[in-house]
Amino acid sequence: MREEAHRFGRGCHLVGIAGVPAAATGETGVIVVNAGLVHRIGPFRLHVELTRQLNASGYPTLRFDLSTLGDSAATGGGQTRTQQVCADLDDAMSLLKARAGCERFVLVGLCSGAQNAHIVAATDPRVSGAVFLDGYAYRTIGYKLRHYLPRIVDPGRWARLLLRRGGANGGGKPVSEPVFAVAPAPREEVIADFTGMVARGMKLYLVYSGGISNYFNHARQFRECFGKVMSHPAVTTRYSAESDHTYILTGDRARLLDGIGGWLTQNFPPAAAGRHP
Amino acid sequence: MRTDAEIPFYFGPAGDLFGMYHAPAPPARRALLMCPPLGQDLIRCHRLYRQLAQALAAQGLAVLRFDYYGTGDSAGGSAEVDWERCVADAGVASNELRARAGIDRVVAFGARLGGSVALAAAERARFAEVIAWDPVLDGGDYVSALDDLQVALRDDTERFTRPRSDADIAEQWLGFDIGDHLRRQLSALHLHAANVPTLVLDSLPAAPASRWERIVSPRGAVASITPPTPWNDLRRLESAILSQPLIQAVSGRLKETA
Repeated sequence: MREEAHRFGRGCHLVGIAGVPAAATGETGVIVVNAGLVHRIGPFRLHVELTRQLNASGYPTLRFDLSTLGDSAATGGGQTRTQQVCADLDDAMSLLKARAGCERFVLVGLCSGAQNAHIVAATDPRVSGAVFLDGYAYRTIGYKLRHYLPRIVDPGRWARLLLRRGGANGGGKPVSEPVFAVAPAPREEVIADFTGMVARGMKLYLVYSGGISNYFNHARQFRECFGKVMSHPAVTTRYSAESDHTYILTGDRARLLDGIGGWLTQNFPPAAAGRHP
Repeated sequence: MRTDAEIPFYFGPAGDLFGMYHAPAPPARRALLMCPPLGQDLIRCHRLYRQLAQALAAQGLAVLRFDYYGTGDSAGGSAEVDWERCVADAGVASNELRARAGIDRVVAFGARLGGSVALAAAERARFAEVIAWDPVLDGGDYVSALDDLQVALRDDTERFTRPRSDADIAEQWLGFDIGDHLRRQLSALHLHAANVPTLVLDSLPAAPASRWERIVSPRGAVASITPPTPWNDLRRLESAILSQPLIQAVSGRLKETA
């Protein structure tokens, strides 16, 4: 299999690399969007390794740069960022449909990429699955207990904490604090999105790392953040405490890729892909 | 910016090298090959390379950015990166640029190990000139610095919730598999002057400018760029390297020699 370089999109402004395995026509395609400002190869080439591993398993893939990122240009159309992301993903899905006959798609995104994938997954019926890596999360009561209780038994830490807080009132109703680097969506909205996604048959894979330990610190926090939808059979979650946010160690990266590959094979078997509900 | 003037494609005898050709609006009179650095420096410099390519294309140069085998969007795994192959790929890319631009005279630019590749490939690739930004001259020092950073990464509690094991970090440099072969090749790297005019752009932290003497004399020059570039700073490992002074220095040099 050879990868193809494409300039594509409504303004011919997007750049991406399609991987189309032989005899892949009609299968579910996997689209990987930028993680932060890193161009389409991904942090430490994560997206290259991921797409090639999925190609080897029979999945057509596209890793590409959203408008204004990497090698992609702006369209100059005066759209909001959300409109632009939706239009870019629409262009990406059209390309993969043209190259491999894909009718349905799985989106993969890390950090801001997870946010962008979420936006489109919540609204586009062609998206049948999504992998959110360190996506939306909120500090919960559980998070704070896990974070602060160990420190309470440490007199030195307790003294420093009191000193830092200056006696501020900590007895009010705990509030989940969104701590994403970019403007987060309200939690209720995200829960409604997840609920809508699984209601229409989507499969979700949420993988969160120890690299976001300043607001997420346990596997239980998926349920604490998003409620019962996390227990839906269509939702798979994984908390990888030892990994960092961008999977800098090759062993951590290999385990992540194997996890995504296994989840895809289970939920979108290559032979049956394209015929999902 | 004309998007139709930036063309992504694969090239080379096996079609396994990724390139991005920046075609100038008027017919090109000169051409520049941009040799990327390796590892995380490649990712950190991507934006700057694109900005420089666009500035030079607007100046009338045909520019080719590309990825060596085993890097970026080119075929091959990170553990397959080979120094000799990188140098050979620079030669293949220079011929691709000549064919696309219809120009024989090609200047090469490269940052860090990209500058080293450009210098090592200069004669074989028939570069008319090399512009090297903080090139790596002694691979042994470079290997030691990366080994030290990798050890510091193991214990980086800003990144990991707890220190990692030696096994976790083994045979890697800052996010990339490193083969024993490349380690040996880089350890043995000791660059000498290329037989072409060479401009070294120096933005390394304070150190004697004399360190560049052996590669710029007798046909070359050294120019300083400020502020210093934080190449080996673990805290900025995932921050892009941007430098308007670098763009001005390279575009200024190419205007001078037009």
